[in-house]
Amino acid sequence: MSQKPKSRGRAGAQAERGSGGEEAPSTSRGPGGAASQGGRRAEAPPTPGPRSQKQLELKVAELVQFLLIKDQRKIPIRRTDILRHVVGDYRDVLPELLQRAAERLEYVFGYRLVELEPRSNTYILVNTLEPVEEDAEMRGDQGTPTTGLLMIVLGLIFMKGNSIKETEVWDFLRRLGVHPTKKHLIFGDPKKLITEDFVRQRYLEYRRIPHTDPVDYELQWGPRTNLETSKMKVLKFVAKVHNQDPKDWPAQYCEALAEEEARARPQTGGTAPTPAPSS
Amino acid sequence: MKVEAAAVADACSDDLSCGEADIDPSLLELVDEEKCRSIRKQYRQLIYNVQQNRDDIVNTASESLTEALEEANVLFDAVSRTREAALDAQFLVLASDLGKEKAKQLNSDMSLFNQVAFCDFLLIFVGLNWMEDDGRDALSDCDDNIVRSFWETVQKEATSWMLQAETFHFIFGSFKSEPSARKPRLEHRKRVYRMEENGDMPTKLRKLDLCSNQEATEKEVERILGLLQTYFQKYPDTPVSYFEFVIDPNSFSRTVENIFYVSFIVRDGFARIRLDQDRLPILEPININHVGEGNDSSSHCRKQGVISLSLQDWKNIVATFEISEAMITNSY
Repeated sequence: MSQKPKSRGRAGAQAERGSGGEEAPSTSRGPGGAASQGGRRAEAPPTPGPRSQKQLELKVAELVQFLLIKDQRKIPIRRTDILRHVVGDYRDVLPELLQRAAERLEYVFGYRLVELEPRSNTYILVNTLEPVEEDAEMRGDQGTPTTGLLMIVLGLIFMKGNSIKETEVWDFLRRLGVHPTKKHLIFGDPKKLITEDFVRQRYLEYRRIPHTDPVDYELQWGPRTNLETSKMKVLKFVAKVHNQDPKDWPAQYCEALAEEEARARPQTGGTAPTPAPSS
Repeated sequence: MKVEAAAVADACSDDLSCGEADIDPSLLELVDEEKCRSIRKQYRQLIYNVQQNRDDIVNTASESLTEALEEANVLFDAVSRTREAALDAQFLVLASDLGKEKAKQLNSDMSLFNQVAFCDFLLIFVGLNWMEDDGRDALSDCDDNIVRSFWETVQKEATSWMLQAETFHFIFGSFKSEPSARKPRLEHRKRVYRMEENGDMPTKLRKLDLCSNQEATEKEVERILGLLQTYFQKYPDTPVSYFEFVIDPNSFSRTVENIFYVSFIVRDGFARIRLDQDRLPILEPININHVGEGNDSSSHCRKQGVISLSLQDWKNIVATFEISEAMITNSY
C-alpha cells in the first residue's frame, strides 16, 4: 500500500481505513484517523511510492500559483517556504517540480524563475518580455509607482561609480521633494522605502561605512537589479532624461559595454574549452 | 627607584633584540607619564582633526591627508609603549579608509556626471521646466497633482527599462475581504496538505461552516415558538391573529423576519394557520385536543400559502389593526 492514497480526497482515505460509510467524516477521521496515520508513519519507509502524473501536475499547478502570489511583494521566495507550504511530502521531486513550474511560468506567463544568487536558495520572477509602450495603459493600478524612484536611485548609483553615500542620495532627492523624514504624498516613508523595502526586495544593498561620525551608509546595486536590468539600460535611461547620447559619459559607457559583453558570453567560464597553450 | 629601573632594564633587554641591548636604562627611566600623555593627546587631536575635515580631505585635491600622515610619522618616533602605538594604529586605519575613498573619488571624477543637472533634467523631462526658476525645492511646495504626474511619468519611463514581472492579482479580489490574496491561497494549500496527513481537517471544516446563520435561524424559530406557546398557555383555546402576532409596528424588516420564522413553526407542525370567520388568518396551536377532534384530513394534508407584504401593506395593517407594540419581542 503506497503512502498516499491514489485518489486525493477523503473518499479514498476512508476506504482504506474501512470506516462505515454513514459516519460523518469528522468522527471517523478524528482521533482514530490520527492514530492510524501515526501508526502508518511509524512503519512506512521514508520513500513514498511512485506518484501519478495527475498528482504531480496538481502539485506543479499549486507551485505556480504559490510563486505568483508570493511574488506580489517582490520579496525573494525562499526554498524553505516552498517546501513548507506547497511541496511538503513531494520534496524528493522538488527539482523536477521547480523545473516544470519554471517551464509553465515561462510558457504561459513569460516569467522566468531564477535563483537570486547561486546557491542562495531564493527565487524571483523576472519578465522575459521587453516592455512595450502600450503596456503602460493596460497595467492598471499596480500600487505606488516606486519603480520611478528606484530607477533614479539606480542611475545615481551607477553614474557615481557604483556606490554612493546615503547622504548624497538625500541631497539629491530633496530637490525632488523627497525627504527622509517628511511624509511623502506618494511614497509615504521614503527612507523606509529606500533603505528597507528596496533592500528587502534585493534591488539595493545598504551597508554601513566604517569610521564615519555621524554614521553614514552606502548604497549599491543589489542582485535583483542585475537580473532585471543592466548597466547599459540604466545608462540609457539617464541619457534619455538628459536628452543626450549614452556615449557622452565615456567611463560609464565603457563599463556598461563591458558588462554587456560579459553577459553575452556563455555563463560557465570554467567549462569553456580553452585552447592548449602553445609554448 | 633603582630596583625598578633595574627590573625595567632587565625586561627591556629581554624584549629587544640582542643588537640593541645597549639602550641606556636611564633613557627608559625618562619615559615619564607626562610625555606619553602628551603624545596620546596629540594623536587624539590628529584623529579628531582628520575626522572633522573628512569631507574636505576626501573630496578636494588637497594635500591634507599626506600632511596628516607625516605628522603621525613624527609623532610615532617618540612612541615607545603600546598604548600610544595603539592610537597610532587607529589613526592608520582611519587614514587608509580615507585614502580608499579618495581613490574612489578619482574614478568618478572622470565621469562628468553632475547630479544637480540630472535633477533639473528630470524636471525638464517630465515637462515641468517652468518650475526651474523657483529654486531648488521645486517639487516640495507645489500642487499634489503635479507631484503625482511627475512620479507617474518617471515611473512610466523607468518601467520600460526594467524587466519587472507584473504582480499577480485576482480580478475580483479574494473571498475574504480583509486579508490579502495570499492568505486564503496558502490556507487552502495547508488544508489540502493536512487532509492527507491527519483527520483533523473535516472537523475544522465543520466549524468554519459559513452557513452559521442556519443555527441562528433555528434559535430564533425556537424562541418564537416559545413565545407562541406561552401565549397559548396563558390564553388556552384562543387563536391569535396572525398579523397581530407577526407584525412589528416599529420595524418592517423585523416583521418580515417574524413571518419567516413563523413559517418554520407552521411547517414543522407546531402551529396552524387558518382563516377565521372574517377571512383573516389566525394562528392556532396544534395539540392533542385538536387531533382528537378528528380533523385528520386537515392535519394530514398540507396546504401551501404565500404571503406577500409590501411596505404600504405593512403600514396599512398597522393602522387597521391598531397594533401598537410587537408581540414578538426582540432578543437583543
